Amino acid sequence: MVSFLLRRIGIMLVTALCLTFIVFYLTNLPAKLDTLAKTQAGSRISDAEVASWLDRNGYSQPMLVRYGEWLGVVPGWTRVEADGTQTGRCNSLTAPTDIAATPERCGLFQGYWGNSTRFRAPVSEVISARLGATGLLMMWVLIVMVPMALIVGVLAGMREGSRTDRALSTFAIASTATPEYVSGVVFIALLASSSIGVSPLLVSWGWIEGPVLFQGNARSALQQITFWNFALPVMTIALFGMGYIARITRASMTEVMTQQYIRTARLKGVSFANIVLRHALRNALIAPFTVIMLQIPWLLNGVVIVEVLFSYPGFGWTLFEAAANNDIELLLAASVVAVLVVLVTQLISDIGYVWLNPRIRIS
Amino acid sequence: MTHETGQKPKLHHAAKLYARECQDGRLSRREFMTRATALGVAAPAAYGLLGLAAPEAKAQTPQMGGTVRIQMDVRAQRDPRTWDWSELANTCRGWLEYLVQYNRDGSITPVLLESWDANDEATEYTLNIRQGVTWNNGDPFTAEDVAHNFERWCDSSVEGNSMASRLGAIMQDGQLRDGAVEVVDDHTLRLHLSNADITILTGLADYPAAVVHPSFDGDPIRNPIGTGPYRPVSYDTGIGAIIERNPDHSWWNAGNGAWLDRIEFIDLGTDPAAWVAAAEGGEIDMLYETTGDFLSIFSAIGMEQTEAITSATLCVRFNQGNPPYDNRNVRRALQLAVDNAQVLELGYNDQGIMAENHHVCPVHPEYAELPPLEVDRERARAMLEEEGHGDTEFELISSDETFHSDTCDNVAAQIRAAGINIRRTILPGATFWGDWLTYPFSATSWAMRPLGVQVLNLAYRSGEAWNESAFSNAEFDDLLEQANGIVDADERRELMARLQEIMQEEGVSIIPYWRSLFRHARADIHGAEMHPTFEIHYQNYWMS
Repeated sequence: MVSFLLRRIGIMLVTALCLTFIVFYLTNLPAKLDTLAKTQAGSRISDAEVASWLDRNGYSQPMLVRYGEWLGVVPGWTRVEADGTQTGRCNSLTAPTDIAATPERCGLFQGYWGNSTRFRAPVSEVISARLGATGLLMMWVLIVMVPMALIVGVLAGMREGSRTDRALSTFAIASTATPEYVSGVVFIALLASSSIGVSPLLVSWGWIEGPVLFQGNARSALQQITFWNFALPVMTIALFGMGYIARITRASMTEVMTQQYIRTARLKGVSFANIVLRHALRNALIAPFTVIMLQIPWLLNGVVIVEVLFSYPGFGWTLFEAAANNDIELLLAASVVAVLVVLVTQLISDIGYVWLNPRIRIS
Repeated sequence: MTHETGQKPKLHHAAKLYARECQDGRLSRREFMTRATALGVAAPAAYGLLGLAAPEAKAQTPQMGGTVRIQMDVRAQRDPRTWDWSELANTCRGWLEYLVQYNRDGSITPVLLESWDANDEATEYTLNIRQGVTWNNGDPFTAEDVAHNFERWCDSSVEGNSMASRLGAIMQDGQLRDGAVEVVDDHTLRLHLSNADITILTGLADYPAAVVHPSFDGDPIRNPIGTGPYRPVSYDTGIGAIIERNPDHSWWNAGNGAWLDRIEFIDLGTDPAAWVAAAEGGEIDMLYETTGDFLSIFSAIGMEQTEAITSATLCVRFNQGNPPYDNRNVRRALQLAVDNAQVLELGYNDQGIMAENHHVCPVHPEYAELPPLEVDRERARAMLEEEGHGDTEFELISSDETFHSDTCDNVAAQIRAAGINIRRTILPGATFWGDWLTYPFSATSWAMRPLGVQVLNLAYRSGEAWNESAFSNAEFDDLLEQANGIVDADERRELMARLQEIMQEEGVSIIPYWRSLFRHARADIHGAEMHPTFEIHYQNYWMS
């Protein structure tokens, strides 16, 4: 077990290293650095000013050296200005007057994630604040998605081919075939517009006071989450993931329902409800558990789309902003977080699988 | 020329012209009201111009209190002189004030100045600094502080310092020229220019010209020392900024503004659909700018639309270095076939006002009125035949940006309607802008500039780098040189009339319309009309 964990963590580190190097390479292409200088020092600066800005901010060194700086294995760049003041990569960590206290290296290994050029703040602060917001969103998504998916899947799978099965399967396939950028827009048009959809009807009947039923924008959820401002983003992500999990649950359930021991139970005269709940369910949940865990990284895709669509500043929104503004260190940190999410959920799914299915052992 | 404290801006010259057109029946009353108010004339005064009493002309007195939430990009802050987006300036306007201010009617009024004088050659300016102004840390505001700002603005070694490009007349070797700024006494400053320049005051009204304290270190949020009545509470790039009235500071203009308790800028991203959703949910009260199809959507959900006339335009210009456009009659004939009103309506959805084939806009203080243009397709065709171009196929090139190609499509359609052969070519933007100066017949968009002479200097003087029409006319150059030395707009107008006429007579360019800017805000927010350079003077807004 311990060696399995160590191996997994090792793989995780190697993956993170490779991925960050790719991201680093792509964000440090010369054209991208030009963009960065222009967003930082003024969009109409001349080529000479771009070169001078890049030079003054340590971007003119070879790419590998700068990747090493970011990792913390190569000493951070320093530079002495014409008036004698020293600037450098690590200078922002200490007071500008206290040059002696500035560490030689400052990178990932020293626990320093760098500075976000888009938000003008330490990357660690930006990421932790935004991850918190996304954590809340994901929590509600899972609370809505998992029970819904399991109920739909189990109901559809207990009598294969029945009318319930056909209806629920159609619903599940439709929901998983609708990408977030379609369902989100449809939800807004249907439920959060004062001129089309259901809101104008409800207003004319006097059922709601405001102009719209739901808020089509989740910015206010940053201060306080309410049903009305959070329902649409949560539903948009949850519906997409739900269909897939429901299909897997249904397949697993139908398979279990054809097993010998279920037939034996029926012949014994156990009630159908009892068979489903006590005998079939636990065995039918093994496959969906893995799928739910694997679905979480997929949901990160949806999070990017939904957070941008509903202007909810979470992790996905940050990733979008960082990519749009070529915010190098923020993108690197975001990719590390993404690797962590993928591998940690896989780890949980492997361990959980063993626990659910005694036939499998990790050696 | 002296501007006294508290002097009301004069009624805009063009507003009077519009009033006459309206009385002559050439302009509908509704159209007149739109244009006059867009030029900064208050609605009751606009009715007054027509000799009518304003309907329910209640003199409303501003009320204290309230919070306004504004949708706007909240970008990472930096040193004001390096600002490249007016959004950056808008958040800080509450505490970082300006020496002078550019108004909706195109006039410049003093803020931290009390008044200014210029000599007759426009080479020496005396700036009288306002008395009784203090910084919000208690320091008095003096001429030394202003001199320090001039030094900062003229330091072109700072990357992206765009103020340096506006103050060339007091600079030398990329720095402030020694002796160019003379501190006469505590509240008087004199600028000695190396050449006549009448645009220097408009440069000081531009958004990067915010006046900062001598201790300023480059971050206007962390170190918000300013002279204005507000202060920042929080600033999160990409998310929002909150500003509140500063209770610890007595503002020099107290009683004439700072009505709102709190201003929240909310950044909802770049998709206007998200803004609609937020406005419908009651989360924003006002927009930074509304564009295109969203104008009618925001009006439909009950927000009020305001318009600002700007001198931004699209010039469908001929390049006189290329035959057959070296022939004046060919150019005139093509102009004669095009009805600018139709171009505005069909090519630009009526989102602006009609222009008259010369590059001076009614919002410019020196704009002179000329007789309306005529459209005569038969004569256009006849003129071309006389010149031997009856069967020539002309080619009109434009970039693929929607309003460029729509406008040119309409111009070409009208020329075709006169029985003239014309072909349209649409190039991708990246390809088009490589050769924009040299196409024989193409369309170029020009940005807003506050004075009429500015674009004439850039684009129509012989041999200028941006002279895309290859226009060269000795009389024009001569008159323009004279106009550049006249500070007073009314005096300058006499020369402008002739300059504008020359542009029309020579058939330099088809300039069909002036593009307007639009903004939507809730009806209970007052003073928040759209501004031609996107300025949000929230210190003058109030809610009822």
